[in-house]
Order: sequence, then structure tokens, then C-alpha cells
Amino acid sequence: MGKDLLGYKGAKTVFLLVAVCTLAQSMAILLQAKWLAEAISALFAGSTLQEQGDTIALFLLAFLARHGISVVQQGIAQRFAEETGASLRKQLLDELFQNGPAFVRTEGTGNVVTLVLEGIGKFRKYAELTIPRMMGASITPALVWLYVFMTDRISGIILLVTMPILIVFLILVGLAARKQTEWQLDSYRMLSNHFVDSLRGLTTLKFLGQSRQHSRSIQQVSEGYRAATMRTLRVAFLSSFALDFFTMLSVASVAVNLGLRLINGSLELLPALLILILAPEYFLPVRMVGADFHATLDGKQAGEAMQSMIREASKSPTDLTFKIEDNLLASPQTKPHFQWDNESVLELSGIGLRHEAQGPASLEDVSFRIPGRGKIGIVGESGAGKTTLIELLGGFMAPTSGVMELGSMKLDESNRREWRTQVTYMPQQPYLFGASLEDNVRFYAPEASRKQVEAAVKAAGLSDLVDRLPGGLAEMIGGGGRTLSGGQAQRVALARALLGGRKVLLLDEPTAHLDIETEYELKETMLSLFQDKWVFLATHRLHWMQNMDYILVLDQGRVAETGTHEELMARQGVYYGLITSQMEGVQ
Amino acid sequence: MKQESWFRPYVTANFWRFLLIVILGVLTILFAGMLMFTSGYLISKSALRPENILMVYVPTVGVRTFGIGRAVIHYIERLVGHDTILRILSHMRLRLYRILEPQALRLSSRYRTGDLLGVLSDDIEYLQDVYIRTVFPSIVALVLYAGVILAVGLFDPAFALLLALYVAVLILVLPLISLLLTKRKNREMKQARSNLYQKLTDAVLGIHEWYVSGRQTEFLTGYEADEAEVDRTDRSLKRWSRLRFFIAQCVVAVTVVSMVYWSGRQYADGSIDVTLIAAFVLVVFPLMDAFLPVSEAVERISQYGQSVARLQAIEGADASDTKPNQGQLLSKAEIESVKSTGIHMKADSVSFRYDQAASGVSARVASDDNREGSVLTDVSLNIPPGAKVAIIGRSGAGKSTLLQLIQGVLAPSEGSLTLGGVESTRFGDGISSAISVLNQSPHMFDTTLENNIRLGSPNATEAEIRDAVAMARLEPLVASLPEGLRTRMQEAGQRFSGGERQRVALARILLQKTPVVILDEPTVGLDPKTERELLSTMFASLQDRTLIWVTHHLVGVENMDEIIFMEHGQIVMRGTHTELMERYPRYRNLYRLDRPAI
Repeated sequence: MGKDLLGYKGAKTVFLLVAVCTLAQSMAILLQAKWLAEAISALFAGSTLQEQGDTIALFLLAFLARHGISVVQQGIAQRFAEETGASLRKQLLDELFQNGPAFVRTEGTGNVVTLVLEGIGKFRKYAELTIPRMMGASITPALVWLYVFMTDRISGIILLVTMPILIVFLILVGLAARKQTEWQLDSYRMLSNHFVDSLRGLTTLKFLGQSRQHSRSIQQVSEGYRAATMRTLRVAFLSSFALDFFTMLSVASVAVNLGLRLINGSLELLPALLILILAPEYFLPVRMVGADFHATLDGKQAGEAMQSMIREASKSPTDLTFKIEDNLLASPQTKPHFQWDNESVLELSGIGLRHEAQGPASLEDVSFRIPGRGKIGIVGESGAGKTTLIELLGGFMAPTSGVMELGSMKLDESNRREWRTQVTYMPQQPYLFGASLEDNVRFYAPEASRKQVEAAVKAAGLSDLVDRLPGGLAEMIGGGGRTLSGGQAQRVALARALLGGRKVLLLDEPTAHLDIETEYELKETMLSLFQDKWVFLATHRLHWMQNMDYILVLDQGRVAETGTHEELMARQGVYYGLITSQMEGVQ
Repeated sequence: MKQESWFRPYVTANFWRFLLIVILGVLTILFAGMLMFTSGYLISKSALRPENILMVYVPTVGVRTFGIGRAVIHYIERLVGHDTILRILSHMRLRLYRILEPQALRLSSRYRTGDLLGVLSDDIEYLQDVYIRTVFPSIVALVLYAGVILAVGLFDPAFALLLALYVAVLILVLPLISLLLTKRKNREMKQARSNLYQKLTDAVLGIHEWYVSGRQTEFLTGYEADEAEVDRTDRSLKRWSRLRFFIAQCVVAVTVVSMVYWSGRQYADGSIDVTLIAAFVLVVFPLMDAFLPVSEAVERISQYGQSVARLQAIEGADASDTKPNQGQLLSKAEIESVKSTGIHMKADSVSFRYDQAASGVSARVASDDNREGSVLTDVSLNIPPGAKVAIIGRSGAGKSTLLQLIQGVLAPSEGSLTLGGVESTRFGDGISSAISVLNQSPHMFDTTLENNIRLGSPNATEAEIRDAVAMARLEPLVASLPEGLRTRMQEAGQRFSGGERQRVALARILLQKTPVVILDEPTVGLDPKTERELLSTMFASLQDRTLIWVTHHLVGVENMDEIIFMEHGQIVMRGTHTELMERYPRYRNLYRLDRPAI
């Protein structure tokens, strides 16, 4: 434990500083015990308080020095933990924003957020506690023991014998803790999930008329969980009990042994008292490691999880060269290097993509030549690769094989990021940020004027909504704000795309989830705004295709057909099949 | 209104357990103290070299007993403590469930469900810390405080007073200062943390947009600045806690020194035996260990406040909610007799508006989509048993309100809505035996497939379940699973596709055997092929029931007896598919979207 921390920047210095502090602290502990024992035994021998004033003052000094050093040491460890945690978080966030959607997809939204916010906290606690604890456990007992041994051999031997037993139990505590953590993952999560699951499914339970009876199930599961937890805790606490037990037994043995030898006259009171005071100090650091073990274990794990996430992400194939710092250069107002005109073509040859190296291909041997303008429809059944193709065209990910060319420009690692700044992407459910409607619309063009925003809002058909909102354009929407309907959200995304002024528009299933009236109206608005854009629209809703200039038909990750609606209908191939199957009624 | 607190009733209910925990806690410290006390006494006594070894027999046994006893008692104390907390936790869960259960159907409109429920369940978990980390240690410290002062008072009241002052610094002054100093900072930090949480979640959910925008640096800079602010607060809190630690240790040092002087003088005066000097001085260290953690325990109080407030708000919300005036609720037998008639559903010029004064929250949510307070105006329906009706309309057109009226969750403001001649509100919870609902995302519980289906009717036989599975055409899916019906659904049923989950929900509803079935946009988010297949399974298996189907597409509407278009809370078009096609160009336009080649 603790070794993994050495890998972080500045760790060696901190370890050294903490070690020096621990050493000084150990000396203070010895002196404090020595002077206290001296004062008491002198009083015992009949000396007056006045005579012992100096010794007592020295004790006071040593005692305060000990705790003063401890404060300094904690401060050093805390500073290190804070800085290391912050740099870890920064790295993680950098990776997150560099690798974007792919990163979130593999890690899961909740996981990323929890790790960045809670994982960092846990890791800090781990770093802050572990360094002083490990140093304390390795330096202080050794020095205390040496001093005791030099004062009285027999007591030294008793203490020495107890330590291995203690360490064995410390390891057992560790094992029990690990077991407990594993067990918690299963049982604890099960219970907590059962409860959250019950709350989330409350509406369904109510519909089924089962909600009232279900409270019995909650009670049963809770009680069952309590019984199971107590069974585990009885064992888990046993090891820390043993830690306590042997410490106490050892101190007691030392005391009784000292007493017997005092009666024999083979020992003086002063060394006996000194050893009695030092015996608990000898065990204290090790017991503290045991006590904090549980608290630090998940911090260590969080640290490892973040490290491996950062490693994974920096290995990932997308955008190896992309550096966040360069990003400012590529803001929308810089001149795009991509130049293409109405005569240019987009050519994909032999494009293939696998999300996982061994997994099935999402796209395979995709080759086509299409005009670099107009409206292009992408259709196919679920799983045919429509979304993957859209993400590939947007430069969100790199193909695992094949070449993509626009005009004479080859799209590769060196210019993919720049390509992305020409692209607007509208998913099925566009994300609305927890911000004002205005700022949401301005997302791609933060410097746009109010007038421009209003124009975009009008063109996207949002004027009615804005008029009705109490705050108008300043109304908060998204998380924490007003909830917009699916159609309204699409219109906000549309206004965002218009204001951004980017030439390429990628749409992934923009209307399938909407009710048919909203879909109809939105389609009208969208078609009018598609005029001077290069549009890629992937959808199941085939009614769009009659408005497309060109259609790509995908089938199981391959391009099955290309052409206009009329051409493809005449061909009676895959597209014709899709159309006719949608023409059939239900039953 | 008066609310039961989330704290006190549990103390009363578990009084004896609490008492036991406190006694054990006090004993733990006392034994640790006695170990040092008797040890000090033992070696002092031995140093006097008594003639007979039996003279130190009692302290010798005492040292061992206290040493071993401390470990044992501490072990028992921890077990009893955790057992009690788990009991309380289980009560709190049940209580929260019972608060939320009656509001179930109104809940979704009031809160963004998922998040809030997760937060509430965390809050309860958080409250268990109140006991383990704050209540128990503080009470133990107070009891010990009283005990120690009394004990010393027997020897010397003046010194007892001095000690009382010292310890008061540890268990009263420092905690109070700590609470005052950190309260605001702790609250600020909690607020700032939750802001960070929202900010980051927002960014991660919108990562696609950020990614494309080229504005990542901007976000990162802003976010890091906020984090640095939180770190600064955190640092100053930690600095204070280190300072507090040092002040407390100074008090300990002063106490030890005072004890040395006191026992020295007492011995000089001849009030105590010489053997007690070491004993008195050594006992100070373990006893002080009980007083040191009080500051930290008290400082935590400010952190519980928010959780308690949130839980209380939920309870309060329930009380202030307007429930429909239910009149006389039907008995089970009465519901059965209504059901036997087949349930003819009639709505007679029903209007509905939220009562602004009584339920501000619901009204506000509802008015998001509606200009006026009136949500439904003059809606009439006549749905005989076995009829099939489709309802279509934009979000906010009043569909959900109409469904809630049919289920008796809301009562009409004007007009009447009857099921088999009885006001729908009079069914109460019994409505689930008359009407079943399949909505857009039926919850799949984290248990087996079979248990999920069985929820429709807990007493269903194997054969009934098999029938339901067959009717929902789940057989190929079940056959493909190695564990068949015993396969676990996993959280939120993520293991199964959207279409499959709707089939499971369908099987559940088939088991429920209600005469009326509401399908609330069951195919949103499904691809056209799955949509059509699912609909044909639904129509076939629900042939003999009354069907009220809210749909977003027009696929399958040909099978309906009546299609209703709603807009702004009114019915604007109604008729069969053929009638609508003939009469309304608007309908023809819409229909074309679902029939791409027309």
C-alpha cells in the first residue's frame, strides 16, 4: 500500500519530507515519555514539585513538539494530495474532451462523472492518509522498540514478539476488508438497487396494482440485508478485534512483567514507567493503519481506475495528435482549409470500422462516390450502420481501414479536427445544456449578436415558443430549467445549427420519436433550411427520401445501393424492399 | 403543518439499544483508562517492594482483565451499533416508500423522477451517519465527562472544577467554534460541489456538441476555475481542522501537567497514597481520547441538514397535493360487479383545469405546454366494451391528462367520466384491476424475466405464464436464453432491446386480465419493422379487450374503431381511418408520412 503513490509528480520529495517529520516526531515521543517518567518517578521518590518544574516543562515542550510536527506533516500530505488529485482530474478531463464521444461511450456517462467528482475525493483522502500512516508505521515502532530494548531487554522481547502477530492480523484486516468490499459490491448494491429500483418502478407497480404489497418486499429485503450484513460484520470486525486484543494483552503483559521484576528488585521504577508509557506508542501507528485501511482502500482503487482510464484513452486510435491547447486555433472563425466546390466529389473507398478489435464490423468495405453538395439520405434497417457512417462522416471517429477523400483532400488524423469545425451534428435527441435558450442557440457561435440569434430562432420556427416563455430568450432550459418537448428541442438544435453557419449538416434520425404532426411541421421547416447546406440525413422514416438528391442504402454494414428515389424504386432492390415493407399494414 | 422528524422517532423506538450502545461505548473508554490506571498503580506498588507478591495480585488481574475486556467490549459495541443502524435504515426506507407510493402517478409530472429518487435514497443512507459518527460519540463523551468530574470531585472539588473547564474546552467550546466557523463554508462547499456535478454531467451528456464545437478549452478553463475555488474552501476547512487538533492537544498537555501537579501536591499533603501518582497521570491519555473526536462529530451536523430538508419536503408535498374528491370508494366486490358488465366508458363534456391555488406545482408543470389554465375542454367519449380507440396529438395537447382522468387519478372539473356507469375516481387503487397501462418505458425490475411477468398477477400458474409468453410472442427470445424465463433482467432491463422489453411488459399486462388496456405510446424509439411487428402482436393478443391507444405514428390506425385527434385540450378530428382520409386533407398529408410511396 502506498507504493503506487511514488509514481506521481513530486511524490519522492513529499515522502522524504514526511519521513523527516516522522523521525522528528518519534524523537519527540521518546523524549516526552522520558521526561514524564522522570518527573513521576522523582515525585514518587519524594522530590518536590518545585524541583521537578524543569522536567515537567521539558515534557510539555516535547508533547507540543510532537503534535506540532504532526500538524506540519498533515499539511504537507494534504497539499500533495490536493495537487496530485487536481492534476489527475485535469488529465482525465483532457482525455475526455480530446476523445469525446468514444470515451464516454466506452466508460459510460455516470461512470465518468462519478469518477471525476467522487473518485478524485476518495483518491485524495487515500494519498493524504496513506503517506503519513505508512511512514509512521515503518519508522516510529522501530525507534520506540530500540529505545525500550536498550532500557529493558525483556520488555523489548515481549513487544518484539507481539508485533508479528499484530502484522498478521493487519493483513487479515486487509483481506477481510477486500472480502467485505467485494461482498458489498454484491449484496449492498443489491439492496440499494432493490430500493432505487422499487422507487423507479413505482409507476409501473401502481399500474399493475402491486405498489401497496411491494412495501412488504422492501421490508423483507431490508431485513434480509441486515441479517446478511451482520453475519459478515461479525467476521470482519473480528480481525480488528484481534488487533485490539493483542495490543492490550501485550501492554498488560509488559506491565505485569515489569511489576514482578520490580518486586524482585531487578528493576527501577523509572525505566518501568518509561516502558509503560512507551508500550502503547509502539503499537499506535500500526493500529492506525488498520483503522484507516477501509477508508483508504476505495481511494486506492479509484486512483487505479482513473490511471487505467487515462492510459486507455491515450492509446485509443482517434486523434493521437490532437492537443487541447491547439484547439483555440481551430475555433470557427479561423479560415477553413477545406475547399470544395459544387463539382467536387466525396469519395470513400474500402472504408471499414470495428468498435472493438475482435468485435463484429459496424461498417465493412464501404465505397462510394457522391457529390459534395445537396441532400444525401442514408437508409437501412436497424444495425445496418447508419449511425456509424454519420459519425465517420463527421470525423468523430477514424475508420479502421480505407480512405475518405473530399475533392483532392484526404481526410486523416492531421485534419479531422479541422473538418469537425465545419460540421453540425443533430442526433435524434439533441442535447440541451442547462443554460438559457439564447446560450443554447449560440453554442457554436458564442459571439453572435442578439439580432442574429433572433433571426435563427425565427427561421427554426421557435418564435411562438419564445413569445410564450416568461423569460423569452433568456429562459433557462435543459437540466434544471424548463423541459422542452421533443419537437421544440429539435428546433433549438436547428437554430443552433443555423447560427453556427457551418456548411455540413449531419442528422441522425431527427424525427422518428416525434408525433406525426410535429414531424410534419418540423420537416417543412427543415427542408427550407437545407437549401444551401450539404446535408446527410440517416433515418428509418423513408418519407424523407423523396426530398433527397441522392440516397445511400446500407445493408449489414455494406453499401447495398445508391441513387435517387426514382432510380432505386425502379431497381426493385433493397430500397424497394424497405419501402414496400413499410407500405404493408399491421396484421 | 407538523411533520414527524426523520430523527427523533428512531431514538425513541430504539431507546434500549441506544442505551446499550452508549453504555458499551463508555465502558470501552473506561476499560482503556483502567488498564493504564491499574498498570501505573501496579508498578508503583511493586516498586515499593511489598513482602508478599499477593499484595499486587488484584492489580495484576485487573490489568489483564481491563486489557482483554476493552477489546471485547469494543467489538460488541461496534456490532450492536451497526445492527441498530441497519434496523433504522430499513424503517426509513419503508417510510420513504410509503410516502411516495400514494403519489406515484403524479410524481412523474412533479419531479424529474430518476434523479430525485436516487438522491432520496442516498439521503437516507447518509442519515445513518448521524448516529454512528455524531450521536453516539457525543453522548459517550458527555457521559464520561460527567462521570470523570464526579469521580475527581470526590477527592477534590476544586480540582474537579478545573478539569471540568479543561474538558469543556474540548467538548463544548471547540465544537461550538468549529460549527460556527465551518457551517457556512461547509454549506457553500456542498452547494459548489453540486454545481460542479451538474456542470460536468451537463458537459458529458452534451459531449458530442462540445466535441464538434471546438470550444473545449473554454469549458475546461471555466470548470477548472470552479474546481480550484472548491479546493480553496476545502483547504481552509482542513487548515482549521489541523489547528483545532493542535489546540485540543494543547488542552491535553495542560491537563496532564495539571494532573502531575495535583497528584504531587495531594501526595505531599498526604491525601493520596504515593502509588496513585503514576496511576492518575497515566489515566489522562486514554480518557482524553474520548473527548477529542467531539468537535469533528459536531461539525458534521451542518452536513445532514440538507438531506433532512429534502426528505421533509417530499413528505410535505404529499400533504399539500390536491387529491381528487373521491366520494365513496368502491369495494372489491363492487369493482368485480362493474367489471362483469364489461365496462362501458363514457366521457360527457369533460373539462379539466388545475386548481391554481391548491396545487401550484402541478399547475406550473402543466402550463408549460398550455397557454391557459384549462388543460381539457369539452371532451366527450363513448367507448363500448371491446372498442378500439387511437388518440393522436402533440405533446401538451392533453392526452396524458385525459388518460389520468380515465384512470381516476384526476377528477374532471366539469362534466363526468364514468366506467360502467361509475365515476372513475371512485375506483381508487382498485383501478388497476379494471384498467392496465403499458407506457413508453415500462420499468423492468432487476429480477428474473419470470418475476417481471408475474408482477401482472402474483398468483399466476406456470401455465398462465406460458400462455402470456406465447401470446406476447416472447417464445423465440426465451428459447434463445440459456436460463430461459429465469434469466435476470439486469438493471433497467438493459440486457433486452426496446422491442423485447415492450413484449415482456405486454405479457405482464396479459396476465393482469383487465377489461380495458391503455397503450401509451408504446412504440416510440423503435424502428419501423419492430414497431409494426410489436403492434400486430399487441392487437392480436388484446383482441377482446377495450383498447385506448395513444400513438405518435399512424401505422396500424386502420384497425381502430375510432381515431381521435387532440389539440390544445380539444378534439379537433375524429372518425374511422376511412372517414378521416375522405374528409381531411390534413389527415391525408400526415398519413403519407407513414406510407412513403403514396
